[in-house]
Amino acid sequence: MSARITQNMLSRSLLLDLQNVTDKLSRTQRKISSGKELTAPSDDPFAASQALMLRQDVALDQQYQRNIAEAQSWQGVTDTALSNVGDAVLRVRDLVVQGANDTLGPQGRQAIANEVTQLIDSIKSSANAQYAGRYVFAGSATLTQPYQLGANDAFSGNTETVKREIGPGVQIDLNTVGQTTFGDDTSGLLKTLRDIVTDLNSGNTAALGNADLQAIDVAHDTVINARSVVGASSNRLDTAMNRIQQLQDASSKRLSDTEDADMAKTLVDFSTQQAVYQSALRAGANIIQPSLMDFLSG
Amino acid sequence: MPLSTFLGLETTLRGILAQQLALDVTGHNIANANTIGYSRQAAVMAPTEAYTVPGVTRPPQAGQLGTGVNVQSYQRMRDEFLDIQYRAQSMRQGSAEAAQDGLRQIEVAFNEPSDTGLNSLLQSYWSSWHDVSNAPENLATRQALAQNAASLANGFQSLATQLQTVQSQVGQNVTDTISQVNAIGSQITQLTAAITADEVTGDKPNDLLDQRDVLIDQLSKLGNVTVTVGALDTVDITIGGATLVSGGTPQAAIAESDMTSLTSGKLSGLIGLRDTTIPGYQASLDAIAGTLITETNNAHVNGFDLAGNAGGVFFNGTDAASIAVNPALLLTPALIAASGNGQPGNAGNALTMADMQAAAQAGLGGATINTAYSQLVTQLGSDVRDATQTTDNATILAGSLDDKRQSVSGVSLDEEMTNLVKFQRGYQASSRALSAMDEMIDQLINRTGKVGL
Repeated sequence: MSARITQNMLSRSLLLDLQNVTDKLSRTQRKISSGKELTAPSDDPFAASQALMLRQDVALDQQYQRNIAEAQSWQGVTDTALSNVGDAVLRVRDLVVQGANDTLGPQGRQAIANEVTQLIDSIKSSANAQYAGRYVFAGSATLTQPYQLGANDAFSGNTETVKREIGPGVQIDLNTVGQTTFGDDTSGLLKTLRDIVTDLNSGNTAALGNADLQAIDVAHDTVINARSVVGASSNRLDTAMNRIQQLQDASSKRLSDTEDADMAKTLVDFSTQQAVYQSALRAGANIIQPSLMDFLSG
Repeated sequence: MPLSTFLGLETTLRGILAQQLALDVTGHNIANANTIGYSRQAAVMAPTEAYTVPGVTRPPQAGQLGTGVNVQSYQRMRDEFLDIQYRAQSMRQGSAEAAQDGLRQIEVAFNEPSDTGLNSLLQSYWSSWHDVSNAPENLATRQALAQNAASLANGFQSLATQLQTVQSQVGQNVTDTISQVNAIGSQITQLTAAITADEVTGDKPNDLLDQRDVLIDQLSKLGNVTVTVGALDTVDITIGGATLVSGGTPQAAIAESDMTSLTSGKLSGLIGLRDTTIPGYQASLDAIAGTLITETNNAHVNGFDLAGNAGGVFFNGTDAASIAVNPALLLTPALIAASGNGQPGNAGNALTMADMQAAAQAGLGGATINTAYSQLVTQLGSDVRDATQTTDNATILAGSLDDKRQSVSGVSLDEEMTNLVKFQRGYQASSRALSAMDEMIDQLINRTGKVGL
């Protein structure tokens, strides 16, 4: 004898099946409305942990891009300042060549000396360049103005490098140290410029034509070198930026693959489940209603 | 032929009475078609004792004359073996459902993956250290770091609080469930006493037995139950190893400590959640928060603040529930020790902090703080999934076993309608037979011997 099937068994299994289909429908609906494949870790624990990691990767890549952009701005300020200084040094060199000319009288040299003194201040202004309130040539003493305008050429910053992290474990030395590039009251560009002023004032054309000219060339090379280092470091930053952007694109794509719902598939699933639900309802209505009672009279 | 003239009347009367009783049983079945736990009943009919026709020289006639029918008993259709199978699944279902309920709450509390969960708070925290390393002199970035660190600490705290809340709710649920167990136990004891009293007199209290089976079904969902049926349908029931019912004798209420071998059922699921699963999550979360506090503070005291002074404590507290940013840093973000040597432009210590994101931590079994948290979330996700799958399985199995039981015990309206027709026809036919007898006797009494009158 086959199993007895009672009306209650039919209702129970119909109800259970309807609940299952409704549950699936509501899950699919949630996927569609949220656009996410993953709405809770239990949807897929492994994918959820992947998603967490990828979210961290994406955020970190974005942070590195911010770090790089910040470093690029800093280098931009440095480069502009060095370019100004380079122009000023070239102008001084022209003036020294003029001053070394014996035909120029003491008054003419005096005028040149005054212009060089002006240029010294202009170079020191450039060396005091600031990026977002920080002195870029002051080493790590970024809140201290490295040079005072006027006669005092002493350097008040330090020679420490300022580091930025531009990738996982990748650090870059960002700053150009003022003392080594521009010198101070005892050596380097500024000392050379002061010597030139002294020589101009004293009419020491021999020194102007030889030692001073050589010294200014050396100082100019130093500035040019510093600029090329900045240029190289800017290139490095650009390359790093491109690389990080590619990494972020890849991570974002994987995150989207892991987390986001495939809309076409989800919508097809939804229609299928809806069709199943409706058929179940129709079948239920047909099965549940009649019993022998409906066909027995009186 | 010394047979009573009225023997046939009695025979048909028995038929009428028996069919009526069977109809009554059918009516009872239909009335209880939707009663939970009701087992259908059937009137068991048997022929009454046959009449041996007496005679001086036997056999004057062949065989014995039947005398009709009698309802001997009302049988309760029930298969005890299916009850045992059903209850075993019901216990599994109970424990998985309880675990699933609690774990789902915890899953909601974690709120991952999202833009507001602890994962993204951690991420904002690390990013803030990067921002400080980009501009260690800037008070605004330091303020942002202090705020993000405070949000992170709040995130840890609220997660810890929610775990505690769920834990104490589960604990309350255990207490309530044990009261429920004891209440069901004393109901079963009362029913058993009533059942035994009936059975002593030879009755079969079918409906009381059904009621008791419903209670045992309910009990099996709450804990692992053993049921031993004794003479006169007494039962002994243990739950989790503790004696709950012993025949009709009332037992002392059981406490949680009495159930020494609780292996399944709602209570086992709840107690597992309260004593093992949630403390496990708490320990992981505390380890993550603790490592973050220790490592950050160790690095922070080695650094220097904006004024060049050595750094103090960054995080107060020791675990997820107590973690908080040192309030002085929130008030005066210049005190954050971002510098490695005291120079304002040096961001050595900020970079050390930012790099902690990728650093393997011995305190977390070699995982980084972020991966340890991901592992915790994965663990939780797997636990919820396990519980859900077990619940689904056990529900389907319990459902199909219940179908099997229903197949034996359930009331089929089609069947009852058929029976209704059958017994009604039986009643009608018996009545017709009675009328036939009546007509015969009428012939005998009123017409016989009237020839020529």
